[in-house]
Amino acid sequence: MKILYSLLLFSMVLFAHPHTFIDVYPTMIVKDGIAENIRITWKIDEMTSSMLIMDVDTNGDGKLDSKESKYIEENYFNIFADYNFYTYIIINGKKIDIPTPTNFVATIENYRVCYSFDLKRKYILKDTAFEFGDTDMYTAMVLKDEFVTIKGGKAVVTGMDNDFYYGYRLEVK
Amino acid sequence: MEIYSSFIKQIVTWQYELNRFISSTIREINDESSLTTSLVVLGVAFLYGLIHAVGPGHGKALVAFYFTSNKSDYKKAFKMGYLISIIHAFSALIFTFGIFFILKSFFRKNFNEFSSIAMSISAIMIMLVGLYLIYEAYKHRKEKDSKIKKSNKSELAVAFSAGIVPCPGVMTIVLFCVVLGQYTLGILSAIAMSIGMGLTISLAGIFSIAINKKGGSFLNDKSYILEMLGGILVLVLGSFLLMAQI
Repeated sequence: MKILYSLLLFSMVLFAHPHTFIDVYPTMIVKDGIAENIRITWKIDEMTSSMLIMDVDTNGDGKLDSKESKYIEENYFNIFADYNFYTYIIINGKKIDIPTPTNFVATIENYRVCYSFDLKRKYILKDTAFEFGDTDMYTAMVLKDEFVTIKGGKAVVTGMDNDFYYGYRLEVK
Repeated sequence: MEIYSSFIKQIVTWQYELNRFISSTIREINDESSLTTSLVVLGVAFLYGLIHAVGPGHGKALVAFYFTSNKSDYKKAFKMGYLISIIHAFSALIFTFGIFFILKSFFRKNFNEFSSIAMSISAIMIMLVGLYLIYEAYKHRKEKDSKIKKSNKSELAVAFSAGIVPCPGVMTIVLFCVVLGQYTLGILSAIAMSIGMGLTISLAGIFSIAINKKGGSFLNDKSYILEMLGGILVLVLGSFLLMAQI
């Protein structure tokens, strides 16, 4: 299965338009305009999920236990480091290196594989923006208003017309 | 650029919706509702293919370039578009079914090892195709007299280079059907999707012929350059695949 996945990844160089769709669900707790963490959940489309499930749900119970989740993290999630986890953090107009994702958990919800992880760091939200998107357009990241949960703040989601891909920007007011 | 961006956004959004629709519909198929639902899935797969191929890639540039460098008619553009999509669909089907059945019939332990061998073999095959295309292109450069033969062969070469890498979009649908045990539907959706993609790719060809008719061709007797490029592209591709295995 890994082979299929690497083939798919490889093909993205040649076919640069979305083949995988990921709904992005960000969660933040804001206090005095500051958040200590952004927890992001990716809900991967059903088709891509079916391939992942086939490979990783080794005991076939339709759930992912901690061992299977670990396997996903090591084999399927960490490779996204090369793609910056499709996440960009902009502070005062400048892109910064994103923190290493922690507390990774993979689950299956309604036939869809979900990845959840923390990007821990002190975010002064008036200076910060989060952007989601795949510059190669292999994966379409989708962020809708209803996907966002912010406690103690108001989320503003805007679409970004980049030249080669479409992305979303999240700000907290 | 702004128009292009919102165009891209629209294509992405449509695919997002179609993708969701196809997956949830295929999952709903059961014995009573199978025929109608299957037909709906095939119709949507066709649309999906049509829109899917609008995005960058799928050899449209190659086709367009080919037709700006060769005097052709619209019929030929259609032929080319469909040739590419057929090769595209077949390679996707072969890859997907191959991988799936290898996966099913081998023990997990041995799978990694086996798949690496299988992948290396197909990578070498792709490289051989590349070498053959380069050789053909070289031959054409030498013997310029056999014009008709040349044109047919170079078309096949272009179609092959554009179509040989399986389309991940098709592979995904096929695999999804296979996982759910819908083998026939998987094959049929791949075909429906390819027909849709063929239409889009053909339109790219037609478009460039239309432009060509106005401006005249600039690479008249130099189609071997294009063939050579195609061959090199396929060769490089095969090498990449092979390197990924070592």
